[in-house]
Formats: sequence, structure tokens, C-alpha cells
Amino acid sequence: MNWSELMDDEGIRLRLLLAGMLVAFLGLASVFWNIQVVRESEFQSSQIRQTMRGVRLPGPRGRIWDRHGTLLAGNRPSYGIALYVEELRQPGHASNTVNKVEAVLDTLGRRLGLKRELTRDEILMHIRKRRPLPLVAWAGIDERAMARWAEMPDPLPGVDILAEPVRHYPAPTLASHVLGYVGRLEPDDDTYDYYLPDMEGRAGMELTLNSRLSGEAGGRLLQVDASGFTHREQSTKNPRPGEDVVLTLDAAIQRLAEEGLVGWRGACVVIDPRNGDVLAMASSPTFPIDALRDVARYGALATNPARPFINRAIAGLYPPGSTFKPLVAFAALEGHRTTPDVVVDCPGYFALGSMRIACWRTSGHGPVAMRKAIEQSCNAYFCTLGLECGYPRIYHMAEAMGLGRKTEIDLAGESGGLLPDERWKQKVHHDGWRSGDTANISIGQGFLLTTPLQMAMFAATIANGGFVYRPRLVAEQTEGELVNDMHWSPENLAVVRGGMHDVVASPVGTGKRAALPDVSVAGKTGSAEYGPREHRRKYAWMIVFAPVESPRYAVAMVLEDAMSGGTSTAPRLHDLLAGIFALERGGQSAEPADGPAVRPTIGPSLDPSIAPDGGRG
Amino acid sequence: MSLMPRLQLATRMNWVLTAAMLALITIGILFIYSATYAREDGPSHSLYQRQILWAVAGMGAYVFFAVTDYRRLRKLTWAGYGIGLVLLVLVLVLGTKIDGARRWLYVGPIGIQPSEIAKMAVIFVLARRLSQPGENLGRIRPLLEVLALVALPFLLIMREPDLGSALVLLPVTLAMMFAAGVPYRVIGVLVMTGVAMVALVLAILFLPQAIHMTEAHQQKIMKAVGLSAYHRNRLTVFFNADKDPLGAGWNKRQSEIAVGSGGLHGKGYLKGTQNMLGFLPRSVSYTDFIFSVVAEEKGFMGSITILGLFGVVLSCGIHAAIRAADKLGRLLCAGIVTMLFIHVFINTAMTVGLMPITGIPLPLLSYGGTFMMIVMSALGMVQSVYIRSQRAGLSFEQGVLWRAA
Repeated sequence: MNWSELMDDEGIRLRLLLAGMLVAFLGLASVFWNIQVVRESEFQSSQIRQTMRGVRLPGPRGRIWDRHGTLLAGNRPSYGIALYVEELRQPGHASNTVNKVEAVLDTLGRRLGLKRELTRDEILMHIRKRRPLPLVAWAGIDERAMARWAEMPDPLPGVDILAEPVRHYPAPTLASHVLGYVGRLEPDDDTYDYYLPDMEGRAGMELTLNSRLSGEAGGRLLQVDASGFTHREQSTKNPRPGEDVVLTLDAAIQRLAEEGLVGWRGACVVIDPRNGDVLAMASSPTFPIDALRDVARYGALATNPARPFINRAIAGLYPPGSTFKPLVAFAALEGHRTTPDVVVDCPGYFALGSMRIACWRTSGHGPVAMRKAIEQSCNAYFCTLGLECGYPRIYHMAEAMGLGRKTEIDLAGESGGLLPDERWKQKVHHDGWRSGDTANISIGQGFLLTTPLQMAMFAATIANGGFVYRPRLVAEQTEGELVNDMHWSPENLAVVRGGMHDVVASPVGTGKRAALPDVSVAGKTGSAEYGPREHRRKYAWMIVFAPVESPRYAVAMVLEDAMSGGTSTAPRLHDLLAGIFALERGGQSAEPADGPAVRPTIGPSLDPSIAPDGGRG
Repeated sequence: MSLMPRLQLATRMNWVLTAAMLALITIGILFIYSATYAREDGPSHSLYQRQILWAVAGMGAYVFFAVTDYRRLRKLTWAGYGIGLVLLVLVLVLGTKIDGARRWLYVGPIGIQPSEIAKMAVIFVLARRLSQPGENLGRIRPLLEVLALVALPFLLIMREPDLGSALVLLPVTLAMMFAAGVPYRVIGVLVMTGVAMVALVLAILFLPQAIHMTEAHQQKIMKAVGLSAYHRNRLTVFFNADKDPLGAGWNKRQSEIAVGSGGLHGKGYLKGTQNMLGFLPRSVSYTDFIFSVVAEEKGFMGSITILGLFGVVLSCGIHAAIRAADKLGRLLCAGIVTMLFIHVFINTAMTVGLMPITGIPLPLLSYGGTFMMIVMSALGMVQSVYIRSQRAGLSFEQGVLWRAA
């Protein structure tokens, strides 16, 4: 048999046919090997990508407490009616499910007496984008609807009460500038396909401490079917609640400080001079934090010309006026440019060339030494002293005491004030430094600008004997954060403090209205003029500390558009201090007179804070 | 002849073939159960039960055709061919339109696909025509006759339209001519012609679009040769699935993911996520895409098991052809084997995107009554050829007995 005959044999042809088919099968098998074994992981990841969905669950936000365990900011549940679309799922096209949801909504609305709020489009959007999450049909329902819900005879399937956490401020206006507020956070995290809204600090301590207050989000990994409905829950990572934070604020003192400002524009800061703790920080006018959730109320506040959102305690810039004079005294004494006994004769004004700076007592104080000059706030004395001392010494003293720069308090929006020097004047006013500038600054006028917080820290430094602390809002440790030690001589300190004591204690002192019957108070008033010459207005200042023998409180208060520090501010500080010491005696502001600040222990049971997913049912 | 000796004949069948066939049917039923496991509409749960019934009925047909002498069927060839053609015409008139094609003829609750009956009719008629003794198959006349016999049902099936089923006829015809001894050069010419025709079809489908003819003109040109935008769409998806991953490309993409993510050993029975979660469309997972379900849940091992079992079936079929007592039997086996091979190849290749999605079921595994009955009957005929082969050890007396019957 030759080759062609062989090939034409039918048996051979059939065998060739079979061989061809089996070779084709082998080829297929090699393709399957490639796809199923070699490229397995590639297809597996495609498969996981299309079947796995992550749902982000925010952690509950930490609470904010005052130093004695009063809740300043917490979470409270807001009750709503939610639909669980997955349980209402209808076979077939998505519109079937939408129809079912609408029917349930209508039934519910009738039974609960609520008007339907969701549109068909919103339902469809929810089914497309947030299917595994509860669909909130009514948020923040009132008690009537809750009662009707509770009385419903047969529970509807796929419907339940949903408790959503809402930031809650028990006293909405209390310390609103310090606490700040939160906003809704849309997480910028594409690890998750669905998420529940989270809270994010937008201002104040809510912003500063956001990373500590924020809970750690957890998540649920869901396996979904081809239509996107949950098939089963793969795994869950529980969210972790945020940290609770205790502030140095004393809610009771804060309330007193705010009451003292009612009806005024201004600010008041209370500091513990022993460590720089901020016990109160008030700014007026203020705003209720919960008003921010209401568009109309927010709008009214935002357009208010008094600008209630500004925290005047850290962002308000005021010339310190005569409250600055003790600093000039320290500069001159410590620089050995004068002694406490040097007497200046006050004719009722201070003359420098053609310039005249009036003393507030136009008839003149006559011959005054330092202690008397402080008590009487004599302009002639301090202008003379300032020129004698020279501006560089004043500048360096002010700089060392923290003026002209931020105190670095834990709040955004702080201003550093202005401590001018020759370079600054040359740059802004294209003029050199003149004696008149020095004289003006010696009485706290001129270009000098300070914040109420800076002046409170200034008072605290005099109160504690020369320690400059960083003002603290978070109660962390008892030791203060020392920024600078002035190393003032005890004698000089005694003179200035004595003057400040007389300001309040002397029957003719400028701040006598701040005096308390049973506690010795030291202070310094100040009235800084501003505005056009024909319509002069005054910032009425006063700084105080008390008790003089071992100061526990240092306060600065400024009122805008007031009469003077002695007449406008001193009575308010009297009320504030009286209140504070009454609290001390009543034991509510239970701080031992000379012991360290005690950090309160906070029980977690104080706040009924809730998990973000709420308990169902 | 009485019943008992006939059934005794059945004991002479190729048991390897029977075993492989039963294994494939069992796998099919198990995975139809898996593919319909997660369906919501209740009655579908019983689809696997109905497949069992079809398998039992199919066994009856299998044994019947195994014990029936295939040569007695020779007389019925033309009648069968005629019935096939009539059914193909009927389906064009009375068929139920599904997705723009009339492929199903419903007799009460039972649906049949005439194209599947026509495939067997064509195999039979070709086996008879090509086995005429003493004819030179290299000549033009028998060649034209053969082509005419195929062309008639081919064009009718194209009218349904069911391009996939129609195209299956071509390699079957070619393989039978090859087996019948048609000279290599003629086969070569036919293959070239086939390639040219495929090129022509592609040109008709895509050229008018490529030169920016209006949609109406495109439709007209395609319709003139029995094609439609549907075919073009399917082929577009085949060549570029990413063009429409959620629409027509969905099935291909999801089937590929199902097969690929199965890995070496699979995700486990009833644990295939593509299948259970409905990514593999539930409407086709138990029919055309049953192989994807097996490949996902049993992995590469499952894939090669199925290919291996089909390899056994094909080998047994060719074995029967080689040993066949006559040319009719030989060609019958060759035709049936080729038809099975084409179905298996196109179907499995389709699940991984090597072939366009054409609606070709996987024999013995895909859910479906008509095709199950036809495939099992055809394998019964292969057994019939095997039993009656001259080397099967059949005694002369027995031969006389059944010849006389």
C-alpha cells in the first residue's frame, strides 16, 4: 500500500478525524489551564470586586466635659423611621421594589400621621447608591408620631425605628465660641462603597480636638448578588468611639463670665494663674450652637453686624489702655531706670514739645510716686516714666510677657495683636520712632493692640509672680506649660502688686467698684479711646487677680463702646468675682485653695451616647 | 423478533460509551440543580427533576435505537428528512418568537427545536447519500447533490434566524464527506470556500457599518442574506466585550470570571459565587452556560473531567465507525460524533470567550428535552452500529436471526 492509498483508507480517515477532535480538546484544556490556574487570581479579584461591598460605620464622637464633670458636648439619639430596602425587595425590575417602598411609606404615613417626604427619585437613588443602609423616611420625629408608632398593632416588615446620633450641647450658648461646632462629613475614603454620615469639627475645640474626638470608623463587608442586594454579611469591624476630652473650663465660672457680658459687645477671660488653665472664655454677643442646624437662624446670626461668630477673646484686637501701665512699671524698675520712690508732679497733662497728653483727672494728681501712680492711673507719671525708661525696654518686657504674638492657645483664629517697633512704623507709616510714640504706648494707646486673652495672661503673670504660661484649654496635667520666667525682683513685684491692690482696695482707686468685702482683689482699669475725634468711644478694660495673697484667678474683661474701665467694667468684675468665690465656698467650684487642680473622674454613664447604627427596635 | 433477544443484543453494546454518557448526564443534573438552586421563582427548582425525567426517557430512546438495526432506519431516511424540513417551515410560521427569533415549536407544554431534529435528519440523509456503493465521490454530481441536501435545511434554519445551529451543519457535512472518502483536494476546495463564506458574512455584517451607510441600508443588506443587527451585535461583543460590559458583553464577561475564578479545584458544589449570586445570568446558567457553573464550582479539574468524558464518547463513536459493518453505519457514526464534537467545542470555548455566544447547548449537560432526546437517540444509533459490527463477535446464527426479524 502506497502513501495515498494509505491515506485514503477509511479507517485512517476516521482516525485522522478523531485525532483532530482530540487535539482540539487538548487545545481547549490548555486554554482552561491558562484561565483557571495561571490567571486564577486575576479573575478572582474581578469576582471579589463585583461581589463585595464595604459599608463604613462611623464611630461615636467623643464627649467634651468641663473640669468638674459637667457635660459640655455629647451625643443624643434623634429618632427617625427607617425603611430597610433589602427586606422590601421585590423580584424583577428595580421599579417593583420602588413601588413596594412607596406603598409601605403611604401606609406608614397614614398610621403615624406624617406627610410623606421622600420622592420616588430619592427612593430610586437610595436603592442604587446606598442600598444596604437604612432609608430614613422621617428624621427627628416628634413624640406624637413615636407614640403612634408604639401603638401600631402589627409591625410592618422592613420598617423600624432608627436612632441616629446628633451632636448635643446641653446648654447651647454656654462656651459656644470655645466649643465650636460640627458639620456633616462626607468621608473621602473610597475603600467603602456606602457610608453613614459622620461628624467633623468645624470650629473651636470641636475642630482643634477633632482627631481625638472622632471615633474610628468600622465597617461591614457585604457580599451582594448581581442586582446589588445583600446576600450575606462577610465580616464586621466594630467602630471605636472617640476619646472623651475634659476641658479646663469651669462651666459655672463660664456662665458667670457670659452673664457679665450680657448686653455688651466684649470679651472676658478667666485664667488660673498657677498653671495657665483657661477657666472661662466668653465673647459677646454669643450664639446658640444648635442654631447652626437651622438655616433661618444661622442666616440671622451670620448677617448680624455685631458678628456673634467672632470669638472676641482671641480674635478681638483692642488697645490695652491703662491696663498696660504695670508693664511699663516693670520695664523701668527691672531696667533700673527708676525707683518706686521717684516722684513725678502731675499738672493734669503730660507735655512733650507741642504735644499734650491729658491725664484723666484734668486738675492733676500733684506729686505721685509709683504705687500711687498705679492706683490713680496717672498718665503724666507713666508718660514721664516711659520716656525715662526708653521704648526698647518696654518693647522687650512686652515681648517677654507674650504680647505681640499668639499665645498658642488650642483654638483656631487667634490673633497675635500688635507690638510695634521702629521697623514696623517705618514700613507702615513711613516714619521713624518718636518720643510721642513712646509716651502714647506708655499709657497703652498708640499703635499697641492686644487681645483679651493676652491681657488675661498678662494679669496671670503678675498674679503668679512672673511666670508666663501657655493658656490651656485641655485638662491634661497639673503642671502648667511655662513659656517664660520673668525673674522679677520681689521688691519690684511687691510695688506693682501693691499699686494694683490699691486700685481696687483704695476708696479713691480707679477700680474700687470691683472690691469684695472678704477677698482681697488687685487689678488695673483701662479705658482706650477709639473712633473719630468728634464721636470718641471707649474700650473699657479691667484686669484683676484674686485673692492677692495667693491668686487663684486672673481675669481680663473688655467692653466695647463703654464709659470707662472703672465705671463700666469694674462692677461686672465685682459680680463675677463674687460669684466665683461664692462657688468656691459653696463647694461647687471645689478647688482646694492651694492644692493642685484635681482632674475629675468622669463616669461614662453620664451621657446616654448611642452607637451610630442605633439599636433596631 | 420477540423482545427478549432484542434486549439481549443491548448487552453487547459498548459499555464504556454508556458509562461516559451516564456520567455526563449525572453531572448535568447535579449542576442544573446548582444553577437553579438560588432562583426565587419556585417552580424552577424542579428543573433538575424534569431533566431527570428527560434522561430516563432518553435512556429509553438510547436502548431502543441501540437494539434497532440502523439499516432498517435507512428506509425512513427520506421521510425523516422530509419531516425535518416540514418542521423547519412550520417553525417559521407557527414558532414562538423569543428575542426576535422563531426557534421553538410548542406542542402543548413541550417545546421542540426543529433545527435539532433537522441536524439528525441531515446526518442520516448524508450518510445514506454518501454510502451509495461504487460511486466516485470525486465527481461533481454527487458533490452538488450533497451540498443541495445540506443547503435546504441550512437556509431554513438561517431564516429563523439561528446562525449558530445552521453553521453546525457545515463541519458535520465536511467531516462526513471526509470520512466517506471524498478526495483531499475536494475537501480542501470546500474548506477554502467555507472560509471565504465566513469572510463574506463578516463583510456583510460589518462593511456597511464601516463605510457609514445609513442604518436602513445596513438592515436591508443584512436582511437580504438572512442576517440581522442581532448577529452583528453578538459578534461585536465577541470581538470586543468591553464595548458594552453591562449589556451584551455581560454574559461573556461574567462567564469568563466564573470559569477563571474557579481555579484548580473550584469553589465547591453550590458555592460558586458567580452562579449563586446571579452574576452568571440565571436565565442561561442552566442551559447554555452550564459548563461555566461546573468550571466555577469544580475548577480546572471539573473542566477537564467533562472534556475527558466527551473525549471518551467521541473515541467510542469513532471506534464504532471504524468497526462498522458497512459504510452507512460508518458515516452515521462519523456524523454523530462530529455533531457532538462541534457542540462541545463551541459551547465550552464560548464560556471563556473563544467563540461568539451562539446559543449552542452542551450535549447531555445543558437543560433541555429535545436536544437530550436527540443526542441520546443518536448515541443509541452509534451503539446499534457497534453491536452490528463484523468484529463484535456476533454469530452467524444471531445475524440470520436479526436479519430475518
